[in-house]
Amino acid sequence: MALKTANIPKPVKLCALMVILVLVYLVIAIPFKVMSVIPGFTDIRPVMLLKPVFGIFFGIPGCLAFAIGNLIGDIMSDSLRWSSIAGFAANFLGPFVFYAFWRWISKEPFSLRTGKSLLKLTAVVIVSSVIEALIITPAVKLIYPDIDFGLFALMVMINGTVFPLFLGIPLMILMQEELHMKPICHKNNVDR
Amino acid sequence: MNRLQANLCLICVTMCWSTEVIIFACIPDSVLPFATTFICNAIASVILAACFFKRIGNELRRSKKKLILRCLVLGALNCTYNTLYLYGLNYFDVSSGAFTFSMTVVVLPVVLFTLRKKVKVRTWVSVALVLLGIVSALGENVANINPTGLFLMFMGCLVRAVFIVKLNDFAHEHDSVTLSTFISIFVSVFSFIIWFVLQPSTFSAIPWSGTIVASLFIYAYFIVAFAQTLNIFAQRRATATEATIIYALEIVFSLIWGAVLPETLIERTIPTAFQIIGALLIVAGSVIEIVDFKGKRRLVNGAENR
Repeated sequence: MALKTANIPKPVKLCALMVILVLVYLVIAIPFKVMSVIPGFTDIRPVMLLKPVFGIFFGIPGCLAFAIGNLIGDIMSDSLRWSSIAGFAANFLGPFVFYAFWRWISKEPFSLRTGKSLLKLTAVVIVSSVIEALIITPAVKLIYPDIDFGLFALMVMINGTVFPLFLGIPLMILMQEELHMKPICHKNNVDR
Repeated sequence: MNRLQANLCLICVTMCWSTEVIIFACIPDSVLPFATTFICNAIASVILAACFFKRIGNELRRSKKKLILRCLVLGALNCTYNTLYLYGLNYFDVSSGAFTFSMTVVVLPVVLFTLRKKVKVRTWVSVALVLLGIVSALGENVANINPTGLFLMFMGCLVRAVFIVKLNDFAHEHDSVTLSTFISIFVSVFSFIIWFVLQPSTFSAIPWSGTIVASLFIYAYFIVAFAQTLNIFAQRRATATEATIIYALEIVFSLIWGAVLPETLIERTIPTAFQIIGALLIVAGSVIEIVDFKGKRRLVNGAENR
């Protein structure tokens, strides 16, 4: 049965989209809480693969869903701390960097068909991870001075770079090329 | 998806498969592998069916009987080679077994040759390098290999090679998501039958815990639902040989995880010099097969590879 969505107001659609994206985030994130590297602070986080996906394919609702999902994940795994505020900001900005790049900076629409486009995405992934590490690490260090600053920053960087590159890229190829989903970030696709 | 993208996807699939060891480390040995296979494939098929029910429905309307029959065959082949590997690996230590597992790459061109399919010279060169890599990694253990174990592993590789060739053929004809869903359904059915025969108490025999449930879910959606579906999509653009040679990289990823990941996740293992040389030869074999040295344009230009 096809769902009739034409008469549903846009804010309701966006809220529904956000709820679905948060659920997707949690379904992937929660099981990985069993794999703790520095208990309570950071984990192996394959859910970071969703960072470019949410930013590029779902825009601002995707960025918000990513930040809210991370916050709920913290609450559910009993790791909610004052630094979670910085975590929320960083996890919003992480996917937002992708959205902003292809919305306002890149002259070409988002595509992963060439080596050049893959390199471009890699550069944005690195920038996004650096921004996240710069926001989260000082906040955690401020509240918990015993934490190894370098190790923590490195873990944030690794999580924010490795998973979007190795898992996020194939997922986006699948979404764009085979499932024919349009990246929302490009100017021409924003008002779809 | 062009050839470059297909190869990237296959590398991702191989990487996902290589993390099996990490996920299985969270599941106690008392849980039979057939139980894990059944539960993970059942969860994966439910996820795929729930997300793509419309697409699956359309594909079933197009070719129901043929599709289901083919998935049944693929499911049976999948269960057969996994069972052969499972029993074959008992005769090897972990690293030797893992390298022997990569032998599919050697068997596949022979299977293709037997099926009268063309095998390029470059492929034979790649295969020779990968074989050399496997032998090098096995090092002094080559002389001590148990013939029964080797036979079981060889048969496993043979069945897997047939599986890959057939999957590659069917991927060109059917919708990838539907194929993946039905393969998962049949693999879970076959695995359950074997599990039930070996352990009639089935679910009550599993020492359920949060860690086990989490590990099973991770395995289900990353390794079965995501990697298997991605693999079938990629196989539509790549040849069976390319796919198999990239799969051989699994052992290289496993070596990297063992050396790099923390003790809390995996038992740390420092690779020997022979294993490093073996891994490098496998990488070289893969590079020769997947990189189009003659036509650089063809590799990066999607339109020409569609």
